[in-house]
Amino acid sequence: MIEFQHVSKQYSPDARALSDVSLSIAKGELVFLAGPSGAGKSTLLKMIAAMERPSSGNVIVNGQNIGKIKPTGLPFLRRNLGLIFQQQRLLIDRSVLSNVMLPLLVTGASKLQAEQRARAALDKVGLLERALSLPQALSGGEQQRVAIARAIVNRPQIILADEPTANLDRASANLVLDALKAFHSVGVTCVISTHDEHELDGATRVIHLQQGQLVDGASA
Amino acid sequence: MKNWFRQHRYALGSALAHLRKSPGGFLFNIVVVALALTLPFAGLTLLDNVQPLSQQLSVDPEISVFLKQETPRASAEALAPVLRTVLNDKQAGITFIPREQALDALKNKSGLADVLATLGENPLPDSYVLTLDAFKHSVDAGNVEPIAARLRALPGVETVQVDSAWVKRLAALLGVLRLALLLLAITLGTVVIAVIFNTIRLQVLTQRDEISVSKLIGATDTFIHRPFYYTGALLGLCAGAVALASVALALGPLNAAIAEFAQLYGSQFQLLALAPLPMAALLALSASLGLIGALLSVQRHLARMN
Repeated sequence: MIEFQHVSKQYSPDARALSDVSLSIAKGELVFLAGPSGAGKSTLLKMIAAMERPSSGNVIVNGQNIGKIKPTGLPFLRRNLGLIFQQQRLLIDRSVLSNVMLPLLVTGASKLQAEQRARAALDKVGLLERALSLPQALSGGEQQRVAIARAIVNRPQIILADEPTANLDRASANLVLDALKAFHSVGVTCVISTHDEHELDGATRVIHLQQGQLVDGASA
Repeated sequence: MKNWFRQHRYALGSALAHLRKSPGGFLFNIVVVALALTLPFAGLTLLDNVQPLSQQLSVDPEISVFLKQETPRASAEALAPVLRTVLNDKQAGITFIPREQALDALKNKSGLADVLATLGENPLPDSYVLTLDAFKHSVDAGNVEPIAARLRALPGVETVQVDSAWVKRLAALLGVLRLALLLLAITLGTVVIAVIFNTIRLQVLTQRDEISVSKLIGATDTFIHRPFYYTGALLGLCAGAVALASVALALGPLNAAIAEFAQLYGSQFQLLALAPLPMAALLALSASLGLIGALLSVQRHLARMN
């Protein structure tokens, strides 16, 4: 499903984010990316989402080579991905419900259909009663769960979460992780980056990165 | 098709929602764009009113040849073949107007019957009206002048008057005005595009987060661009409507002044607002200018964001 073949990423001559990384992630896996800040976790996730292109090597996602994909093809690739960021990137002037409806509206779903599915997604993360609130009225943990609802509302094949629990207290972080694990349990491939070793307890697969290099966990 | 309409409805709704968030800024932009549009719209209204006036007047070159008062009728009538020779134009129209007929026409036309009656005898001479077919399509009144000079030299001729010259000059003047208006419209159209370009640029900047989130969740460029296109077109459309309304409102006081002036010439001339069809065309043009401004701005600034 996701394959990195000798991938390097160099932002500038003295800023190398990834160095000759090769790994593969199969469909339905739950994979944690671990490593300290600056290890290259975010760059790796951004490459899967085609937000960055490799300087060398190939990144294959769902059979598509990210380095060769045309700009017009990017939206269609991303509709199969659910992206969750450390900063939730919710639209603060729109209700929680509107935020979650957005991925459906961009694909041309009707407003009614989008609202029904958005409510269902909010229900799954336990925030249906906050549907009409503005994001700023929610706690950090709740905002992150809204971001998860937005990521899963399109029923993506892959969820990419970049340090989703970084700014949360332990209880909120557990709620967020539980939600992500719940989606993995129904067959969604999840790739979650973290620098918190506690979150790796019980993880079936962990990919360790350090200074842009793969330390272990290249394959299942 | 249903999906296409849905996407457009969403884009229009999104554009309106953003405009509702900053109505003051939107109204200010409408005023600025409307100011730029008002001048060419007013000029067009003026041309639209004056042009039919010039078209109603004869532009066929006519020459009036007035004979001397003492010329006997027989000599006056004998002048017709001489005139044809001078004109050297087989198609030329030569109409003899006896002094009695001219007096009757003057009485009927000017309403000066009482004044003319006090004169006792007819002060008007016999005359000829010559219509020159060869110069029908010429706008240059100068072409008629050499003929007029030869006519003046004929025995028994008192005065020769080239009647169509001023109409030709008016037509030429209107041509110049039309060109000036076109240049003005192009200049101010560019101003409108520039204003809307800048307005959309600011909108793109304020909605940067929304745009980047939309891109990440799979929105196509068209989906992202479309609300901005609607904003530009709406801005142009509203400004066009305001400009047309301003011109229509200005016609009231302007017509009051014109009425006084026109009465001095026994005319009922009034400026009328444009007909619905040209108005609709101007509104469509205004919306198109807005759309062009938005298109250029979005292409430039979103390309930079990419």
